[in-house]
Amino acid sequence: MSETMLTVILALVKCVFSLAFVMQIVPLLIWAERKGAAYIQDRPGPNRAHILGVRAGGLIHTLPDVFKLITKEDVVPSHVFRPLWALAPIISMSVALVTFSVVPWGDQILIPAEIAEKYLGTTGPLAVNLQVADIDGGLLYVLAMTSLGVYGIMLAGWSSNNKFSLIGGLRSAAQMVSYELAMGMGVVAMFMTYGTTRLDTIMQIQSESILNWGVLLSPPVGLVAFILFWVSAFAECNRNPFDLPEGEAELVAGYHTEYSSLRFALFFMAEYANMVVASSVTATLFFGGYNIPFVNGAMLREHIDLVLIAIGVGGGVFFLFAASIAFGRRKDPFYAAMEAFKGPRPNKLAPVGGLNGLLYRALHDDTLRQHEWKIFTAIWAGAAAAHFGLIGLGAMNIASGMPLLTEIIVFVTQLNAFVVKVLFGCWMFIWVRWTLPRFRYDQLMDLGWKYMLPIGLVNILLAAVWLLIDANTMRLYAAIP
Amino acid sequence: MPLVKVNGIAVEVPPGTNMIEAAKKVGVEIPHYCYHPHLSVAGNCRMCLVDVEAGGRGPDIACNMAATEGLAIRTDTPKVTQMRKSVMEFLLVNHPLDCPICDQSGECRLQDYYMEYGQHDSRLADAKMGKGKRQDIGDQIVLDAERCVQCSRCVRFSDEVTGTGELRLFNRSNQTQIGIFPGVRLSHQYQGNLADICPVGALTLKDFRFKKRVWWLKESESVCGGCATGCNILVHHQENEVYRFTPRRNDEVNKSWICDQGRLSYKDVTSLKRLTGAKVDGQRAELPEAANAAALLLKGAKVGVVFGAKATTEANWAAVKLVRARLPNARAYVIEGNDPDAFTYQDEILVDSDKTPNRFGAALTASQLGSVGDAEALKAALASGEVDALLVLHDDVVGRLGVATPKALVYVGTFKNATSSAAAVVLPAAHYIEQPGTWINRQGRVQRLRKTVAPAGDSVADYAAVDAIGRAFGGAVIPEMPAAIFQELAAGVKALNGLTLKGLGHGGQLITLFAPSPGVDQPGQAAPAK
Amino acid sequence: MSDVTPAIKKRKLNTSESIYLVEVLKGMAITMGHVIKNIIGELKGQSTFDTMEYPEVRKPVNDRFKGAHRLTTRPDGKYKCVACMCCSTACPAKCISIVAGEDADDPIEKFPVRFDIDMLRCIYCGFCVEACPKDAIRMDTRIYEINAFSRQDMIHTRDYMRDLMAGDKPEAEQWYRENPQHSPEGFLGEVPPVIP
Repeated sequence: MSETMLTVILALVKCVFSLAFVMQIVPLLIWAERKGAAYIQDRPGPNRAHILGVRAGGLIHTLPDVFKLITKEDVVPSHVFRPLWALAPIISMSVALVTFSVVPWGDQILIPAEIAEKYLGTTGPLAVNLQVADIDGGLLYVLAMTSLGVYGIMLAGWSSNNKFSLIGGLRSAAQMVSYELAMGMGVVAMFMTYGTTRLDTIMQIQSESILNWGVLLSPPVGLVAFILFWVSAFAECNRNPFDLPEGEAELVAGYHTEYSSLRFALFFMAEYANMVVASSVTATLFFGGYNIPFVNGAMLREHIDLVLIAIGVGGGVFFLFAASIAFGRRKDPFYAAMEAFKGPRPNKLAPVGGLNGLLYRALHDDTLRQHEWKIFTAIWAGAAAAHFGLIGLGAMNIASGMPLLTEIIVFVTQLNAFVVKVLFGCWMFIWVRWTLPRFRYDQLMDLGWKYMLPIGLVNILLAAVWLLIDANTMRLYAAIP
Repeated sequence: MPLVKVNGIAVEVPPGTNMIEAAKKVGVEIPHYCYHPHLSVAGNCRMCLVDVEAGGRGPDIACNMAATEGLAIRTDTPKVTQMRKSVMEFLLVNHPLDCPICDQSGECRLQDYYMEYGQHDSRLADAKMGKGKRQDIGDQIVLDAERCVQCSRCVRFSDEVTGTGELRLFNRSNQTQIGIFPGVRLSHQYQGNLADICPVGALTLKDFRFKKRVWWLKESESVCGGCATGCNILVHHQENEVYRFTPRRNDEVNKSWICDQGRLSYKDVTSLKRLTGAKVDGQRAELPEAANAAALLLKGAKVGVVFGAKATTEANWAAVKLVRARLPNARAYVIEGNDPDAFTYQDEILVDSDKTPNRFGAALTASQLGSVGDAEALKAALASGEVDALLVLHDDVVGRLGVATPKALVYVGTFKNATSSAAAVVLPAAHYIEQPGTWINRQGRVQRLRKTVAPAGDSVADYAAVDAIGRAFGGAVIPEMPAAIFQELAAGVKALNGLTLKGLGHGGQLITLFAPSPGVDQPGQAAPAK
Repeated sequence: MSDVTPAIKKRKLNTSESIYLVEVLKGMAITMGHVIKNIIGELKGQSTFDTMEYPEVRKPVNDRFKGAHRLTTRPDGKYKCVACMCCSTACPAKCISIVAGEDADDPIEKFPVRFDIDMLRCIYCGFCVEACPKDAIRMDTRIYEINAFSRQDMIHTRDYMRDLMAGDKPEAEQWYRENPQHSPEGFLGEVPPVIP
């Protein structure tokens, strides 16, 4: 296998992985949005759709939703400017996905020489960067790409040929331009502090110690930069409290008023993909990316068996706990608390015969819901058993003898750390959305121009001061190989 | 004329007028059950008790109080109200609470007066007297003796108007109840009036039984077309559907009565015998299309126009105008006698032997064309070929003459008959309650018809149907609006000079007809109803 | 006195409030508190929600609740309704149409041959119940799921309304036995005396 072929294949694999990464989190977020909103508002949220009785806390609802969006009629209003109108959602979605390509999701994987030479035809060991594109201006690329995202929304608003959509698009453009500045200012301070825009270099710097995590660097420069960046990220993603472009109270649905079916779904998914990307970039810049606090890649590799045992014990206990809860509820009637209020008459439209009737009765049958708890018990017990199995694996010192297995375990562990950080970021988006009311437009502009931009400028000044002070000790620069 | 005072308002009335009528003149309503303007005074309901201020003694019944000079009554004193309340309490002692199932409710005097003067908290401790319910006493009438308030209107009606006397009040005191003599059954032609004059729901009409609550119905004035009497009627209808005819008071024509045939003739409006669409050679056609076909048939032919005694005067006038404008050589005919399918009953009270409502109107307008031929003349003309095309208004010429008719036969009519099936062109005319117009009855009284409901199917007013033929010839022959047509008619026909449609009023206008001719009774001679 | 509405005075924000972030975090703490409370409730199987799991669980409605109409019957099973049309007269939506007929065998001569209520037109004002002199129509069924797949099926007919609460619905009967305070008169067989 030639060098070029290998590069191409690796690039393709990484592309697919990064696409899949974002796209897999999106449905999860849609579920989290609904369930989170419901719990914040003291209601049960989605809990009806099921597969053979298993509703997975409403997660199954996303399936019929996708099916619905795919099968809905794709309405093309006669008054739209068709080419741009069709292009807009594609721009939105693709920009969101492309941005993720510079984000590193794990430490280098070092494929041992004997395996690499035997199967991949290289000379010596092969180091694989877990990042699609390792480019020098990585951070600049992120800024460039996110500002392209405004095109999707602007074009959608303009080409819909509809006043509401147009106003939505205009608002979006103004908002993005304003907050991109603040975001840029925040990032500039980080450039200066890190001394580079390469994201993998930034990651390496952060691997050194938890004190090197972006948010803690040159206090308070890192923290202020994080706040500026994070608030701007909300605005860039058009999320509440900055979701004025689709302010439904005054603009119907803003820029995507005229979209239906899969075109709407693209906008919808782009919003969540943007959240994922924004969270990833934030995690990478400020929170050590894939790094586990106090434990860097080298330490993981060194104590791989201990790591296995720790994961086994932690996961095993957690899943055992989950299984015990599920087991305890296996006989609960579903509506025990409200049994007394059951009405006199079942819904007249409830289907009685055929497959529909069967499903209806199945869903409204307490025994099936008890069945669900049994399935959960089995799943959680299995997971617990698997984790306890890991303890044995660690105790027998198997992984330390197999370098490739070690690499894989390290990769999975670090990826999990990264995913946890990203998901927490995404949950922040959802959490804030259901907590805060929407800004008024003038407040939005005030905040962007009068507060965040000056703060960003001052922050840069502070970063410069920190650079001067530290110029002789060169603590940061020394870390770069 | 004596000057009397009602509640302090002075009014001059003819001597002998009873005080209910006198009070009505000054707008004071005196409640009553047994009094009826066209029946003798019985004075047994006591509802019309009034206070006599001067010219009499004590409380007295207004219906039996003839106006004399200086008589003064009051109806607005607490005493009068108390008397009415007491009378109502007596009347309601044995009256069942049948209002939900009673056809009279909504037009019931008991309900009306109860709301005004009733003893709203019943003092009755005993059970109500049960009397016979739902008695079948005649072809048209159901009797419910429990509901009767013993006003004896029906008894007097059967004694005085029909003279048959089947009904009586039997027994005494609170056992009194209305009934029919054993073995007797109402069989006269005026049974429906019993239901009308009954102030409560004791006598109700079988035909209208449970059909409709009366408060849904709208009333429109019209004239019955069953015979030459031209009884004034009210058409009761809701949402374009006719539910009943009731007599409309006209003292000069039908007083307050109408015969059962006329009353039930509302069924003709929706009868299957109605012509609802224009036809050309038996094929359904649009009206203008059929009018074109008619014009083609009549153009250049030797036309005979048969004026219709069932058509409105306006339609006949339209025919006159059509002949003058487009058919200069046409001959006019008026065929005597009734259609073969007409009722044959007649009597001295209301029902005339002539079953056409507008014989004089047809004759009057036809005579505007000069000589008017009769049935024999038409037969001869048809046989000799002097007439080879006919325009017929309503009359069943074929059935009546029994002769072969020419191929070119244009029929304007409401119902199917021998002529309509023989006709080459049929133009559907509205039923007489569906169109405006005028009729001249056997007295020579011009009476007005009104459009009460929408014409069935494609049918149009009969004058409009004739006018459609004129339009097919190239131009309308009469104006569109009924008032304008009548204005033209009144100007063009000498006997009608000076009349206007509005001036006819509710009761119609008597006119002097042309000189008597053999076979036609001198109009204006027929007496009004008994 | 000025008739101008005085301007609303805004409270001046203190320092921590004017930075927003602290207040934002306080708000987020509150919402997160709800999330945690509800998750724990879910895991324990004790509902902490204010909502109900319709249609399995129904809100018990007030006794005066105006539900679907029903037609009551006399002890002999005939309709109490005498087709007096008071209800259709009172109906502001004109949704009741009745055709009266004569019952030759019954001393109460009149009965409804047809009694249709167009539930799509009905505005549930209850005037029909108020107007009825015979207590023949009631809205005490507490049925509020009035639905159908076609307009025609939304017209409730005479027999449908009679049988709406009839005993062939065991669930309903059971429910009424357990909740006698909700039982409409007559449903369990205790029929009030007929108004003559």
